[in-house]
Amino acid sequence: MSPTDHDTEALQDEVTDLHEHARDTRRPGEAGFTILLLLASLFLLWSAYDISGFEALSAPGTLPMVTTLIMCITGGLIMLRTIKLPLISGETFGQNILPLALVIMAVLLVCYGLLLKPLGFLPTSMLFLTISIKLLWRQGWVKTLGVSFLVLVIIYVVFRIIFTVLMPSGIFPEAEMLQFFRNLIGGGA
Amino acid sequence: MKHLILGAVSALALTATGAMAQDYPSKEIAGIIQWGAGGSTDTVMRAVTPHAEEVLGGTVVMQNITGGVGAIALNQVAAGDADGYTLLMGAENPLLYKVMGLGQKDYSDFVPVNVLARGTPILVAGKDAPFDDYAGMLAYIKENPGELRFGSTGPGGLPSVVTAMINAVEGEQDVIFVPYDGDGPALTALQGGAIDVMPAVLGAAIEGIKAGAMKPLVVFEEEPVEALPDVPTALAANAGYDKYLPWGPFFGIFVKAGTPDDAVAKLTAAYKEAAEQPEFLDLMKNRGFTSLNLSGAEAQTFLDGWQSTTAWLMQDAGLTKSSPEEFGIAKPAE
Amino acid sequence: MDALSAFFTVFTDLKLLSLVALGTFAGVYIGAIPGLSVTMAVSILISFTFSWDVHPAIALMIGIFMGGVYGGSRTAILLNIPGAPSAIATAMDGYPMAQRGEAGTAIGITTVMSFFGGFIGIIVLALAAPSVSQFALTFQPRDYMLLAILGILLVGSLSGESLVKGIFSGAFGILIGMVGMDPLTFTGRFTYDLPLMQSGISFIAVMIGMFGVSEALAQLHHLDTPAIKQKITRIVPSFGTIKKYLPLSLQTSTIGVIIGALPGTGGDIAALMAYDHAKRVTRKPSRPFGKGAIEGLVAPETANNAAVGGAFIPMMTLGIPGDAVTAIMIGALFIHGLNPGPMLMVEQPDMFWFIVGSLVVANFFMLIFGLTGIKLFTKVVEMPRAVLIPMIMLLSIVGAYATNNSITDVYWMLAFGVLGYFMRSYGYPLGPVILGVILSRLLDDNWRRAIISEREDLGRFFHGIVTSPLSLILFLAVIFIFFSQTPLWTRLKARLLPARNEEAR
Repeated sequence: MSPTDHDTEALQDEVTDLHEHARDTRRPGEAGFTILLLLASLFLLWSAYDISGFEALSAPGTLPMVTTLIMCITGGLIMLRTIKLPLISGETFGQNILPLALVIMAVLLVCYGLLLKPLGFLPTSMLFLTISIKLLWRQGWVKTLGVSFLVLVIIYVVFRIIFTVLMPSGIFPEAEMLQFFRNLIGGGA
Repeated sequence: MKHLILGAVSALALTATGAMAQDYPSKEIAGIIQWGAGGSTDTVMRAVTPHAEEVLGGTVVMQNITGGVGAIALNQVAAGDADGYTLLMGAENPLLYKVMGLGQKDYSDFVPVNVLARGTPILVAGKDAPFDDYAGMLAYIKENPGELRFGSTGPGGLPSVVTAMINAVEGEQDVIFVPYDGDGPALTALQGGAIDVMPAVLGAAIEGIKAGAMKPLVVFEEEPVEALPDVPTALAANAGYDKYLPWGPFFGIFVKAGTPDDAVAKLTAAYKEAAEQPEFLDLMKNRGFTSLNLSGAEAQTFLDGWQSTTAWLMQDAGLTKSSPEEFGIAKPAE
Repeated sequence: MDALSAFFTVFTDLKLLSLVALGTFAGVYIGAIPGLSVTMAVSILISFTFSWDVHPAIALMIGIFMGGVYGGSRTAILLNIPGAPSAIATAMDGYPMAQRGEAGTAIGITTVMSFFGGFIGIIVLALAAPSVSQFALTFQPRDYMLLAILGILLVGSLSGESLVKGIFSGAFGILIGMVGMDPLTFTGRFTYDLPLMQSGISFIAVMIGMFGVSEALAQLHHLDTPAIKQKITRIVPSFGTIKKYLPLSLQTSTIGVIIGALPGTGGDIAALMAYDHAKRVTRKPSRPFGKGAIEGLVAPETANNAAVGGAFIPMMTLGIPGDAVTAIMIGALFIHGLNPGPMLMVEQPDMFWFIVGSLVVANFFMLIFGLTGIKLFTKVVEMPRAVLIPMIMLLSIVGAYATNNSITDVYWMLAFGVLGYFMRSYGYPLGPVILGVILSRLLDDNWRRAIISEREDLGRFFHGIVTSPLSLILFLAVIFIFFSQTPLWTRLKARLLPARNEEAR
């Protein structure tokens, strides 16, 4: 290959890199998502104006306004381009974007977030691991519970004991339990 | 871990989850540090706590919870149980939350365990500044209004209080205030020439002064400080400062009001002893802090006096969002 | 002579040697787990090593620092989840390699190049610390602002299919970084009077959500695809391979040292800037960037490890932290009775040489631990996805909680995880979001400082830029890189310089 070939090829790469070589179809739900992002950007622009208006160049609201304005412009461009594209064939929203497994996991995560404080770290995590591994792995209960327990123990030891991160203890008196074991070790030494 | 010898007594704690007062502490105590890792509050708390743990016979797990000028940490501790298992390790800022509109709670919702030490404010200038002393600075500002750049750390921070004092005593000064996140970054900027003058805490500036990287102008004390005996005091420069001094940022450890007396007593005793350790005293001296080691009523008097002086100073400088009067903060005696 | 003996303290003392080894080993794993950070580990060590002598305490911390910066690349390559912010760029070409079963090669090159970068950082620290720190001090607010803009222009390199989507993502990231109480004036920004918005959105929560949870959600599509078998026979790269990337790694290490030495910028920005640089100067990468280019691994990994040495430069010479970890180490030195500041190197040069020695030892241990124990890591990837995905999710949750002990961060992390999943599905690049968050404060604070210093006068502001050589160079670089990213420039270049177009760097 001659040096000139080199150059043209590199240039070609660069050109394709820089130019929009976006897909020529849109995925299910994509149009709605771009509209949503544009609406959110417009709302944020208004909130940014609300911070300090056009008070001064150094005002806390100046750069937020610039940033949200860029979001509105690019968001608008993306939306205009996307809604013109034909829908991709062979994909459906329920299968390729949000299949059932994904919805279930997302719901489980939200439940985790809600239960963490009242129930405490250990019970919530055990529940989360057991249910999600059971659903995804489709193995027997003994295996599921065993693996969940093992994973939880590892995470607990690393974060709680070595790194002393105080997770919400909730209904399970784990801090007292830990102190009990520490006293046993401490008393023995 | 040698200091965990609580023996058989606390072995019972597993069954008695309620944690009876006489068993205190029956589990780890969380120490919530208001400021980020590596800051002076963090350093002081991490230095004093290991001694206190030994006296207490328990473990204090320290966590940094930052944000909202420390208000996030304060509100979190205030929202928790008053059982003595959560300590608030903080600085002076909360005493101004109410007047600055940063929060509805301050140290009046807490019981002081120990007010450890107080810092000395000092005014430093960059080594290329066109003046060498306090009087020279005032003259320069008069000749070049709106040119001199002062570092600041936002409303309620040490620089804003010191500047308010200068304005109250010397009259309004026409200077530019360039905001920084803390005195560390601001002093870096001072050495690089991005700002000309910075009101800082002595400990943060002392190494730079010794190395000649910045010029000390005046210390805000009544007597010259041991570490820099040649630097004139504010009182010597203008007797008007008498009204406000001694003043300085401080560090303290608090528990939520309503904590059982027994727990407060044990914590107070532990930190009192810890703050007397020679190593800790050395550390405080090296960093230019005045050791206070106040607890109980003494600490409360100190806090009330500090709040009254500072809140009214800020009020008179027009920097507050609401008047100290609304929160029952008494005006300092003239 | 004293300097030499201080330098060799670590080599001759078995206890110190093993502490550095232990620290480095732990660091690799701390770095690899998203949510466990070096900053966290070092601040815990302060109280833990309180009663120790200063030497062993510092030795342990240095080991963790060195290992931790490197460890972030592990999970980035194997799981597409950067273990630390400085490994974000590593994932972009490392993960595609793992998908081809070349994780062994990727880890091997990463390790050797991290070692190389680390070494350059240490050499600069040892030989040129005072002059580099003086240079770092000359950066004015407007220079930091220009540097931030330069960083934001990296969006061009980090956007995949569409530049417009990349710009949107970048602006969104900057916005995320601005949420909360403005630290300069205490004005609420996008807080909507909600107390939970006041402290802003934790950067780590955004990163873990966007890269951890959203990746785990995306992996659900491939639940039944068997894991890729990894070839781990040839880990250590050949001498020829190393030689080939030597020029590039020297350039990216230099970027790493300088960015590392600047107070307020660290390995995360250095790695991204180095990646961009590699993309700009490499004319024929081993594979296209983003599809498993070795150059895309070499650049960020040399830079982030070189930034370690860089971060020590202002710390040792001026007592000013170069990043979050060195800020805590300064605290540690104070506790142990030393006074870090400009006088430290004059009064106690031993400490400086001891730290340099420890860094060298830690760098060697990093090489050793990096090249061994890869089997165990690759086993993790070969675990059934049905177990791996819930585990990643739980780790992400704990990690997000651990950074600031706050449940709010967990909620943010989950929200960004879901949003990140949709953005991923619709071709919005996530790299620019993180870039935006990292640079947001740097840009906003310094823009405001710069314009306040000039009394809100744009004329004075530009006068300042053109009269300072440093600002002028940065300003021209910004303009040049900006135009080189527009299609107009490409067309112009193709017309004017048909054969030789090399200067685009």
